[in-house]
Formats: sequence, C-alpha cells, structure tokens
Amino acid sequence: MGESIIKLVGITKVFPGVVANDNVNLEIREGEIHAIVGENGAGKSTLMKIIYGLYQPTDGQIYIRGRLTNVTNPQVAIKNGIGMVHQHFMLVPSFTAAENLVLGSEPQKNGLFMDFDKAVKITKELSEKYGLYVDPYQKVEDLSVGIQQRIEILKVLYRGADILILDEPTAVLTPQESQELFAIMRRLVEDMGKTIIIITHKLQEVLEVSHRVSVMRRGKLVGTMDTRDATEQILAEMMVGKEVVFEKFHANQNIGEKLLEVRDLVVRDNRGFIAVDGVSFSIAAGEILGVAGVEGNGQTELVEALTGLRKLEEGSIFVKGRDMAKGSPSDFRRMGIAHIPEDRLKTGLAPEASVNENLMMGYQHKKPYEGLGMKLNKKAISQKTAQLIRQFDIRTPSGQTRVKSLSGGNMQKLVVAREFSFDSPILIIAQPTRGLDVGAIEFIHRLIIDMRDAGRAILLVSADLDEIFRLSDRIVTIYEGKLTGEFRTADVTKQEIGLYMTGKNLSTAG
Amino acid sequence: MKKLKLSQDLEYIFSLALSVILALIIGAIIILANGKSPFTAYAALINGALGSPYKIATTFAKTVPLILTGLATAVAFSSGIFNIGGEGQLYLGAFAAAYVGFTFTNLPGIAGIPLALIFAALAGGFYALVPALLKVKYGIDEVITTIMFNSIATLFTSYLANYPFASSVGKMGATEMIAPAYKLLRLVARSKLHTGIFYTALIALFIYYLMEKTSAGYDFKMIGSNPIFARYGGINAERNMVIAMIISGALCGIAGAFEVLGNHYRFLQAISPGYAFDGMLVSLIVKNNVLGVILMSIFFGMLKTGSIAMEYETAIPSELVLVIQSIIILFIAGEKGFANILRRIYAKEGAGQDV
Amino acid sequence: MYREIFNITLLQNTIRTATPLILAALGGLLTSHTGILNIGMEGMILLGAFFGVAGSYFFESYLMGILFAVASGIIIGLIFALFVIRLKSDEFIVGIAINMFAGGLTMFLLRSIFGVKGAFSSPRIQPLPDISISFLENIPVLNVLLNDHSLFVYVSWILVIAIYIFLYKTPYGLWFRAAGEFPEALDTVGISSNRIKFISSILCGIFCGFAGVHLSLGYLTLFTENMSANRGFIALAAIIFGAANPLMTYVAALIFGFFDALGIRLQGVGIPSQFTQMFPYIVTVLVLILVVKRERDKKRAHQARQKGLDKSQIKAADNLAK
Repeated sequence: MGESIIKLVGITKVFPGVVANDNVNLEIREGEIHAIVGENGAGKSTLMKIIYGLYQPTDGQIYIRGRLTNVTNPQVAIKNGIGMVHQHFMLVPSFTAAENLVLGSEPQKNGLFMDFDKAVKITKELSEKYGLYVDPYQKVEDLSVGIQQRIEILKVLYRGADILILDEPTAVLTPQESQELFAIMRRLVEDMGKTIIIITHKLQEVLEVSHRVSVMRRGKLVGTMDTRDATEQILAEMMVGKEVVFEKFHANQNIGEKLLEVRDLVVRDNRGFIAVDGVSFSIAAGEILGVAGVEGNGQTELVEALTGLRKLEEGSIFVKGRDMAKGSPSDFRRMGIAHIPEDRLKTGLAPEASVNENLMMGYQHKKPYEGLGMKLNKKAISQKTAQLIRQFDIRTPSGQTRVKSLSGGNMQKLVVAREFSFDSPILIIAQPTRGLDVGAIEFIHRLIIDMRDAGRAILLVSADLDEIFRLSDRIVTIYEGKLTGEFRTADVTKQEIGLYMTGKNLSTAG
Repeated sequence: MKKLKLSQDLEYIFSLALSVILALIIGAIIILANGKSPFTAYAALINGALGSPYKIATTFAKTVPLILTGLATAVAFSSGIFNIGGEGQLYLGAFAAAYVGFTFTNLPGIAGIPLALIFAALAGGFYALVPALLKVKYGIDEVITTIMFNSIATLFTSYLANYPFASSVGKMGATEMIAPAYKLLRLVARSKLHTGIFYTALIALFIYYLMEKTSAGYDFKMIGSNPIFARYGGINAERNMVIAMIISGALCGIAGAFEVLGNHYRFLQAISPGYAFDGMLVSLIVKNNVLGVILMSIFFGMLKTGSIAMEYETAIPSELVLVIQSIIILFIAGEKGFANILRRIYAKEGAGQDV
Repeated sequence: MYREIFNITLLQNTIRTATPLILAALGGLLTSHTGILNIGMEGMILLGAFFGVAGSYFFESYLMGILFAVASGIIIGLIFALFVIRLKSDEFIVGIAINMFAGGLTMFLLRSIFGVKGAFSSPRIQPLPDISISFLENIPVLNVLLNDHSLFVYVSWILVIAIYIFLYKTPYGLWFRAAGEFPEALDTVGISSNRIKFISSILCGIFCGFAGVHLSLGYLTLFTENMSANRGFIALAAIIFGAANPLMTYVAALIFGFFDALGIRLQGVGIPSQFTQMFPYIVTVLVLILVVKRERDKKRAHQARQKGLDKSQIKAADNLAK
C-alpha cells in the first residue's frame, strides 16, 4: 500500500442547524480500497461531496498528493484526478451511452464540431480496457441500472481519474451485479493502480472488498482500521455506538381478529419495474408486524399500495374482509387505514400551510367540523387542534405557525397526532423516527405501543433494525420485493434477520 | 387571532410594499428623464383617481373586471391549476351575454340580466373545463393549452361578431345592441360605474366564503400547497382541480358579461384589452389571497384612472402605469430570490465579524 | 376567385409571414432545450420591433436599427434569465410580466419620444434591404418565390441550419440539451447548467429582437402598438408542433405562415379569416394530445419489456465484447 494520496484535516461542515461533518481527519492511501461506513445521516456523503468540490467545508484543509488544495468546484477535483460515481446516476436519459460518457469533455473535429465517431471509439476502447462493457449506441433510458453504473464509472475513468469515489454503489444493484462490481473494483486497483473510496452501510461488503475501513457516526469519524482486523461486530458497534439502550416493551397478549390481509400482492415502481413481487401476510388487532429490509427493496411501494396511493398490478388487499383492489386513498381511509408516510415533508405535510391546517386534514368533511353549506366550524376545529397539540406535545408557537418552521421531531409528532387521532383500526407506519433525536424517538415508540395495546393492527416499516425489534410482535424480512422470512420477534436474533434481509438463505426461507 | 402566521404575512406585506415603492421610484426616474417633476405627476395621479365622486366612480368602474378575473386566478392558482386562459373565457362569456341580450329581447331586466350572467358563466366555465380535463386525464400542461385557447376564443368570437351575428348597422366587428332592459344602471353621472359593482361585491363575498370558510376552499388550498399531501389525506385532487377551473372560467365569463351589459351594450371583437391578464397579475402579486385581490384591484384601478389625469396635467403618457405594474410583478416574482441573496450577504458579513 | 387566392404570390407571402415566426421560434426552442418555457417571446418581439424603428430613425441607418433591436434583445433576455435562473422566479409569471412590460414601455416611449399614439412612421426610417440573388433571376418560379426578399428572410434560413448544426453536431449543443433534460449531469462534470440557461435566454432575446426588427423594418416600415400580434405565442405553438427540432419547427412556422397569408387573402375577398388564423393554436393542442398518447403507448411497451431487461442486457453487453 502506497503513500497518502488524500488527506483531510479537521474538516467541518455546518448546514443551517446541522453539523454534518465535525472535525474529520482522514487519510486515503494510494492504491487502496477504502470503505467508509456509517448509518444514514452519519455524514459520509457530505464528506465525499466536499472532496469532490460540490460542497465547501466550513473549516479544515484538503491535501491531495501532499499539496494543500482548495477544491472549489468539481472541475478542480477532476483536474486533480478525483472522480465521483454518484448514488443517483448523473446521466441524460435521451443521450446514448457514448454521448453521456464524453459529456463535458467531448472529442472534437475541425475545432467546432463534435466527433461522434470518436466518442463511440473512446467508449469501446475504455470498455475493453476496463472490462466494463456497454453498447455505445444505446440510449441510457433503455438501459438497466447495472449498465448505467458502468457508464458512470467509465465516465469518471475517461476524465482521467485515478481516485474514484463510489457513493453507495451497490444500493441499486442485484447481488450478482454487486459481485461483478467488486471484481471490477479489484481489477481497477490491482491492475490499473487506481485508488477507490467506497461509501456503504453494508458491512459484509466492506469486509469483502476493502483494504481499510473508516467508520462515521453523527458527523464524526469514529476510527479507521485495516479491514483484516475488523469484524462485523466491531464495525457495527462503532457505527451505532453504545449510547442508548432502550428498555424493552412488554409483549401484548390480547391478539384479536384479523384486520388486514394481503394476498399475492404485485406492485410496480415508478419506472415500471416490479417492486413488490407476490407478497402475502396478515395482521390482527393488537399486533405489530415489522417489515425489515434494506431500503429500496419494495417497502415504499408496498406501503403506497396498502394506502391506495399506488395501483396494484396483481393480488388483493382485504381490509376487515373487504377487497380494496380498486380503492382510492380516501376509500382506504374510510375503511379505517391511517398512514404515517416515510417522507413526512413530501407526503405527510403541507409545509407552507399552518399547523392547524395540517392537523385538520381528514376532519374537514366530518361532523361537527363541517356544518351546513360546507362551512367549516372554526371553533370545533380549533378545539380539536389545540387538544392534539397539547396531547401529542407538539412544540409550536401557535396553531397558525407554518409547519416548515417546526423542528423535524415536532413535524413528525404532528403527523402522528393526526393519524392516530382518527381511531383507525389499522395503522400503516413507515420510518416513524427517521432523523429524530432520542427523546422524540422514545415518545413516538410509546405512542405506537399504546396504539397496539388499544387493539390496532399495525404494519411497521423501518430501516432501523433496533426499532423493528423493539416494537414488533412479528417480523417479516423483505428482499427484492419478496418476503424472505417470517418470525416471532422472541424467536429470532438480529444477526439472523440481517441475513434474510440481504437475501441469504432464500431457498430455505418460507 | 392569527398572531404568528401574521408575522410571516407581515414579512410578505413588507416586501410587497417595498416592491410597490421601488416600482414607483423607477417610475419617478422615468418621469424625471422626461423632464417633469415626479411629485407633480404622482400628485396629479392620486387626485385624478380619488379627487371627486366622479373620479372615484371611474376608479371603481375599472376595478370590476380586475376583481372578477383576479378572483378567477386566485381560485384556480391556489388549487394548483394554472388558468392563463381567462382572456378567452372572458370573450366567450361576453359573447354569450350579448347573445342573450339581443335574442331574448322581450324578457324584463330582472329575468334577463341573471339569464345573461348564467349563460356567460356557463360559456366561460365550459371553455375552462376542456384544458382542465386535458390536464387531469392526460397530464397536458394547462399553461400551454389555455394560452392557445385564448387565441382560439378571441378569433372565434371575432368571427361570430363579423359574420353570423354582425350588426346590421354601424360598427365592424360588433353584434347588435342588447335590449334596453339588459343595460345595467349607471350609478354616477357621466362615469361608467354601473350596478355590476354590486354583483361583483356579492361574487367576491361568495368567493371569500368559499375559499376561506368552507371545507371546499380548504381542499382547494391544500391541493395547491402540496398535491401529494392532499391525495394522501384522501382529497380527490383531480376532481377538485376541475371544479376550481370551472369556477375560474365562470368568473371570467361573468367579467366579460359585465363589459357587455354595463359598458358597451353589445359584443365587440376587441372588447377586452387584456383584462384577464391584468387580473392574473393582480392575483399573483397578492399570492392569490382573496382579500388581497380586492385591495390590489382597487390600487390598479386607481393607477389606471389617475394616469389619465396625470397625462392631462403633465403630459406624461398614461402608459407609464403599465410599466410600473409590470415592474411590481417582476419584483414580487423575484421576492424569494432577492431575500435569499440578501440573507447570504448578511450571513457573510456576520461571519466576517467573528474573525 | 380560386385562382386569385391560390397562386405563387400566396407562397411568396407565406415566406414573408413565416419569417418572424421562424426567428422567434428558433430563439424559443433554444430555451426550451435548456428547460425553460419562455412565454415572454411576445414582448421580446415587440421590444425588438420598437427599438429597431428607433435605431433606424435616429441614425437613418437600418444597421443601427438591427443593432438597437439586438441590444434590446440582449437586455430583456438578461432580465428574463436573471429572474428565472438567478432569482428562481416562476418562468411563466416572468414571461407574462415581460409581455406587459414590453406593451407598456413601447406605448409609453412611442408617445414620449415620437409624440404619437398608435403608430409611428417616418421617411427617416430606413427599411431593411431586399436581397437580390443574381443566379435565381433566370429561373422562372423560384425567382418569384425565393428572390428579392428582405434581409432577415435569408438570415432566418441560415439560422435554421446553423442552429440545427449547433444543437446536434457540436459539443455546445449537447450541453444545451443536457441542461434542459438533466442539469445535474452537466453540473457534476463541471459545466454550470445555469450558465447554459443564461446563454440560451440571451440568445432567445436576440432572436426575438431579429423577429421584431424584421416586422418593423422588413415586413413593414413602421411601428404600431402591439404589432407583434400574438406572433410570440404562434412561435411557441410552432416549437411544440415541431418538437423543438429546428427543421421541424421551421416547417411548422412555414405552415402557420401559410395559413396566416391565406387568411389575409381570404379576408380580401370577403371570406372569414378567423378559422385559418385559428389553425396554429388548434393543431398545437391536438399535437399535445397526440404526443401524450404516443408516450403512453411507448411506456406501456417499455413496461412489458422491462421484466427481463436487466439480466439480458448485461449478458448482451458482455457478449458484445466477445
């Protein structure tokens, strides 16, 4: 392993209200695969964007090959041989692979025209050289994600990068594709002398592919070590820390009748791919079913289907025995389904509207809130909203305050307050505590348990395994849109669930 | 009652005031460049708009189409559907009212006038329905279709007024006069203020009630604020957008009807000099707030009326107010951007002081 | 009567009436490629027409007329870009404001500078020259059709070709198209998509200035209030009709110009012209519906194929290597 090729000294990045990176010192050596791991929001991506010049650090220095460098924009990074493969591909859909590859540094002829033939030739040559085969003439919109990623990597190599930053590269790949990517990474490092930084939160991948690994938590770099000294347990501990040990909740004994049943559900995602693939399960009154899985394995689409927000391709959803296959969101709500969405700002709130306006959604057509001539009963509404604000401890200057000025925790409390106040027998809850502080997490967890004890049937989708384990009575694992296992929480360990979540033991799972 | 939202609203009212003042200053510079005193000019403008009952009446006469088309914009825009086709809807409404007025000549005013207004509202509403359906069924951008529909409607009514329904006497591009029973009463001698202002006030009250006091208004506003949230909350966004659009079109149609019944007493092929666009700008300036539309319409009406007096006294062409109005809307459109830039400059200076 | 209307002069007129549409549409299609719907073209044309006349009148030179029109185009393009891109204002609000601004400003200046209302003409205004192409003179039909047109008729033809080449054959064209479709792709390789959008807005202002100066110094030799007469919106229709491709937009503008010219002649013999004038707007709406339908069919076919796509493509790509 070689010299230090990138050195970060005291990098701090402050966004309004958030310290994304806190005094990070990191050294990348030439010719290594360096993994950076951490949970969502640990500051990995921000750090990489600073190296690539997309963000400017609030404080600290970047040394590239020993020289203090001010990376003011991506152009500077590119000039210094740094290339970044973004998590969301930066490709123009209607352009061909070759056009995307050369965009920004096009081969020219006669000093003015673009040399399309040369672009194709370059694409073929680079494909050949690195073993990353793509059809130069095909349009990106017709290509699969795996191929698109190849184009992204080639794009970076074409610009002469010898330090490659890969941001969550396996998030969108199938296991086979991930294996291919690892082979390519090894080849790039061993045969071509490149240096690779890979960001991920999958620990198995880290152990498999990297030479050294750095762990980040809450914006801080916790430590760097040789991968051969690391185990999953060590890394996991460093990632999560030991700060909070939540007390366990007592299990619920009163399981009632079956309220929600899903049979052979098939749902497509926005791009037309099958996202939920033949899922069946049921939930009874008084129980919480946890859905564990790495994000992007069909959870979003499953939740949208269960709340009427997404059309079903096949299969059926029974709410209290009634088939809801063609229901609208309001039909689902009328049948007694409430929904805490995964993205509160996008789906669960109107940020520009007031707290009261957000709280009354769903009440506006109900008595006594709506009177004769559709007139809103302001008094009844303000009583209701005031009661919810008090009951759910929403910290807001007033009911007239715009939601966008509340903190994340209070926004989420607002969503929870509204959805729990309907007395809906079925609750579909997605990522209920994402990005919240410990106090808010505890508060919301208790509310969910209270709802369970009150006899609600609850589906809980979360990327946070601790949360799943803490709240669920039963757990199903989801991988690539299929359920890979079903367990009683008491009978299973986190490690086991982790395996099912990542697609292992598929054959033996139910 | 609305304490804290008020502080955010105050911020907006402040930047609105600033925009108006800046636009007036730019206007003053133009007046200076013309070798005139801005003070004399603006004084003449204010006096011309409010200096006598006749002048006030004229100001309010000018606000009628502005309020109606402004409210039309407010209803549609706050529901997240962008009706730029008000001008076309206004023309169809105007023609429909004229048609009733010169066809059913035997009706008494008490039946005829409401009938003409209903026809106008139906014409405008139906014409707005088409782009609304194209939007919710096919996702076709309503901005483009309504722009196209404007030209189609003005051309179509121009055809009607020139050929099948052309006046047998006098003017080119005009229909027959409406029956006398349809003519709205003039309220102040010599001025054009007619009883339509009362109807307008009633309509404005209704729209205020609808948007601010009812669950329908709440649904509309939530769709405009975040359509994904509205759908998630169980509101049928598509149906509501279509309804909002029909209301919007109907209001524009009625605006057209008043031009016929209260002003020209017949349909003319160029009956509106872009009232719907003026109304749209009024509504945009006040962020589609119903009360704001009314106040801003009066302000614009003052500018229009006063500018004539200003021209008479200082020889500054009255079109100056068009320039001032468009500058106000530009500043308001850039409001957020300006604020961000100011905030960044301020933040930088703050950081500099720390060092 | 039939022959009075449908003859070679009609086609000759078509070329004349289509020219301002072509010029404005070329500008607008540049911004539409960079992702901006510019409905302020109407006002930009009007400003070009006015300042063209002003420049030509004061300097008694059509070149100064062009220069003034271009300058006004650059300034209004800059203002448009400043608000839409820098200040992130809504593009259609800014567009409407510019239309209103142009209408008001030109009327105001018409009265305060030239002291007239409605229209201004003067023998001092130098019109744009007609261009004679000598080799065409001996070819009977083409000579009438293509020869002796005003300067910008030929300029518009050259620009159609030039912009086609620019968009589809040069790196900058690639940047323009990327800036509209997926700006992040451009930003992450170190080219500012906002800068590209700025440039397209300014070019649009200049081209609309050309369209305006052609109207007031080429087509006619005077300025009248609102003389852009909806051409900005017809140009928008042509862009949509031609799917923002310069050649197809050119054809669309010619078709729309044809119906315009036809309408004028029909009116001359007492036949309603309104329906021919309506044509561009109606077909644009129809085209929009057709485009949506086609894209839906495409998406459906795409979904059907999608299932096996992933694996087969990797295989196919790998096979390519062998």
